[in-house]
Amino acid sequence: MSSPVAGAGSHRLRHGALFALIVIVQFAVFETALRTWGSSEAAPSFQGLFEGDPVLGYRLKPGARTHFATSEFSADIAINPQGFRDDEELGPKAASERRILLLGDSLVLSVQVAFDRTFGELLEQRLNRRGAAARYRVINAGVQGYGPVEEQLFFRKIVDRVQPDVVMVVVFVGNDAEEAVTSLPKLSGEPRGGAAAAGESLATRLRRLVRRSMVLQILRLRVVTATDRVRPQLAPPEPPLQSYAASPAPRIATGIAIARRSIDDIAAVAARAGAATMVALMPARFQVDDPDYLRLKEAVAQAGGELLRDGASDRFARALADSPIPHLDLLPALRRARPGPDLFYQESVHLTPRGHEVVADALDAFISERWPTERQDPRATPR
Amino acid sequence: MVFNSLHFVWFFLVVYGAYRLIGHRAQNWLLLVASYYFYASWDWRFLGLLLASTVVDYSCALFLERAPTPARRRAILCVSLGFNLTLLGFFKYFNFFADNLHALFGSLGWQVDFVTLRVLLPVGISFYTFVTMSYVIDVYRRETPATRDLLDFAVFVAFFPHLVAGPILRAANLLAQIERPRHITRDQVRDGAWLIAWGYFQKVFVADNLAPLANAVFEPGTTQTGVNVLLGLYAFALQIYGDFAGYSNIARGTSKLMGIELIENFRFPYFVRTPQEFWRHWHISLSTWLRDYLYIPLGGSRGSEWQTRRNLFFTMVLGGLWHGAAWTFVIWGVYQGALLIAYRAASGARIYRRLFVDASPWARVTTWALMLHLTCYGWLIFRSRSAGQIAALTGSLFGNFAPASIDTHQLLIPLVLYATPLLLVHGCEAWFDDGLIVPKLPTGVRYSLYAATFYLTMLFGNFGGAEFIYFQF
Repeated sequence: MSSPVAGAGSHRLRHGALFALIVIVQFAVFETALRTWGSSEAAPSFQGLFEGDPVLGYRLKPGARTHFATSEFSADIAINPQGFRDDEELGPKAASERRILLLGDSLVLSVQVAFDRTFGELLEQRLNRRGAAARYRVINAGVQGYGPVEEQLFFRKIVDRVQPDVVMVVVFVGNDAEEAVTSLPKLSGEPRGGAAAAGESLATRLRRLVRRSMVLQILRLRVVTATDRVRPQLAPPEPPLQSYAASPAPRIATGIAIARRSIDDIAAVAARAGAATMVALMPARFQVDDPDYLRLKEAVAQAGGELLRDGASDRFARALADSPIPHLDLLPALRRARPGPDLFYQESVHLTPRGHEVVADALDAFISERWPTERQDPRATPR
Repeated sequence: MVFNSLHFVWFFLVVYGAYRLIGHRAQNWLLLVASYYFYASWDWRFLGLLLASTVVDYSCALFLERAPTPARRRAILCVSLGFNLTLLGFFKYFNFFADNLHALFGSLGWQVDFVTLRVLLPVGISFYTFVTMSYVIDVYRRETPATRDLLDFAVFVAFFPHLVAGPILRAANLLAQIERPRHITRDQVRDGAWLIAWGYFQKVFVADNLAPLANAVFEPGTTQTGVNVLLGLYAFALQIYGDFAGYSNIARGTSKLMGIELIENFRFPYFVRTPQEFWRHWHISLSTWLRDYLYIPLGGSRGSEWQTRRNLFFTMVLGGLWHGAAWTFVIWGVYQGALLIAYRAASGARIYRRLFVDASPWARVTTWALMLHLTCYGWLIFRSRSAGQIAALTGSLFGNFAPASIDTHQLLIPLVLYATPLLLVHGCEAWFDDGLIVPKLPTGVRYSLYAATFYLTMLFGNFGGAEFIYFQF
């Protein structure tokens, strides 16, 4: 005969098992529902656009396709067999073909708009409309989350395959300095200690597990949001938007220096491949949008900081001032397009179709100005 | 510090942890300090009002018990009521009356410069002044003895779960529980935990997700067709219910965890069929307060039919004004009074029996649907910012319904998705006529509801930290 204590224990065990089973079954139900009807970058269908990379961490997956829709936009995304966002295969380079390679992050990849409305594709259309003998091909090599370091490493991998005539590095001034600092270890390629490797491997495995599940991604987001709210109460907070701070943290200068070295490296590799390099500085939305700026200025002031609206653009421009690499600040062109329909989406803070038009116009004018003989010889040395 | 903030979660965990470790008297001290901290977290300057209200009414009640003559007792009661009503009138209604008198004199061509004070409304003042007034009136009526313990009385007034948005509690209910040692049962912990979880679900999943749908309809300058106004009204009806009932449930749940029972403030108010029933199921603590301390003293239904109607009307107009110093709330009170009077008048008609007494299922559904839409129209008045907006939205509802213009994606689908889980659980509660049926359901069903509540709240809840609507009242 079993004792009452043992009976109570087994009763609790049965209830615990039943509850766990219900939690798991509902997890599966919500996971399925979110995968079917959910619309976020956390969705496995979106994450399916990427695959692992031993050096870069991840890259676009050749041949991947998805439809991405949120309350703000809806777009089909296709990755070509070469791993770039394009509806067509890159194919061998024809003698009359001139290739412009766009390197950058999500602002270049532009999953918010259809491919034919991205500024890369619009630039290609503008260049080809001029009736030059050469056929221009603009290759969108932007990858979500990449910074200057990843772009440098990525470019080294693809340069021989792409055979570009012009490489355009699109620097997002809002976070590229921060990302350069974070990604610096990727350049060293030094082997890590066993414990660190094991720790990272476990963390990576966990991260991958979370990334595969939409339910876990959202729960993770809730935890992060909650801890972010607690953190300021535990330690003095660093004012946000350090890239734009009047007195930024030292890592911003370090990050800009790393970014500059990455751009120089890209230019050197490009030059060896016979390509010219140029840089476009992409501003953040609040640099163009006044209400957004006032809101962020207030938020930074509340955190004890001071926001310089064009601080990050100016810092990158100064860092490139003594470089022979020509650079274009896209901010004036975007500001000139105000007032008018939004240039950036409100929630995703990426370019709207109109924003892409403005950027394509600015890049087209910049190329025409810098390479007046480009129509005849795109490989001519830039002025 | 709102219930749906991380600040409150930490606050409650610390207070509750300490509460479980100490004895009765120390618990009361802890509750007092915690409640004052909770209130001061909005604006410490208003703590003085709370203290003044506590000390004045505590003293008045003691004087009442010792007063030798009825005249003296009446005088003391007047002092207490005068103090509370002055407090409420000044902080809540001063600007309203000053602005309206200024406008009235201006329309008569008299330029009178009123003193304009931008008086800030202390959070919860409508609730705690009603609590202290009811206590003094109960002592005056000899329905409750005056407490001699200032600590117990201060906890009764300031008890943080009900301090800023009710329920409006009576001394016979709460003070009695504060005075005696509390024993926390397993059922209280189980039910309290469920009420807290369900309250958060009502707030962050239902109310805060439906708020943008309602706001889109009531945004000044927007023009909507009648069908979309109706959907916006459904959204607001569920938003205000989820918001207020959610708050009340969290208040009840946290109190239960501490061994204190608060009264049920909502009981499936959208499932009722008459205006009278509605007020027995919506904001129960306010409607019973108005009944006991306003309607009945005015004569209730003891006089002629005309006097009863007058009393109903006056009570509901003041009830409307209690919600805020604005003409829309007065109009809402008039509307509610008119509904009650109309219902009372209809009770003599022959059709009344067929619709409400010996009602067929069809009659039941019809009267329920009618009452639901009358309630929703009341919310149109309540939520509008001006009489002009009431007229414009009413015009859309009745003059430009345009069913083909229904906004399926932005209004209908979100409304159905966010309302369905709430209505399913309420359907179950109403079926069993038990607002706490969920923790008593068979194990598998109960666990499924617990898990679903957790997933829906965490995955789809709006954690923007929006304040509760009733804080402004």
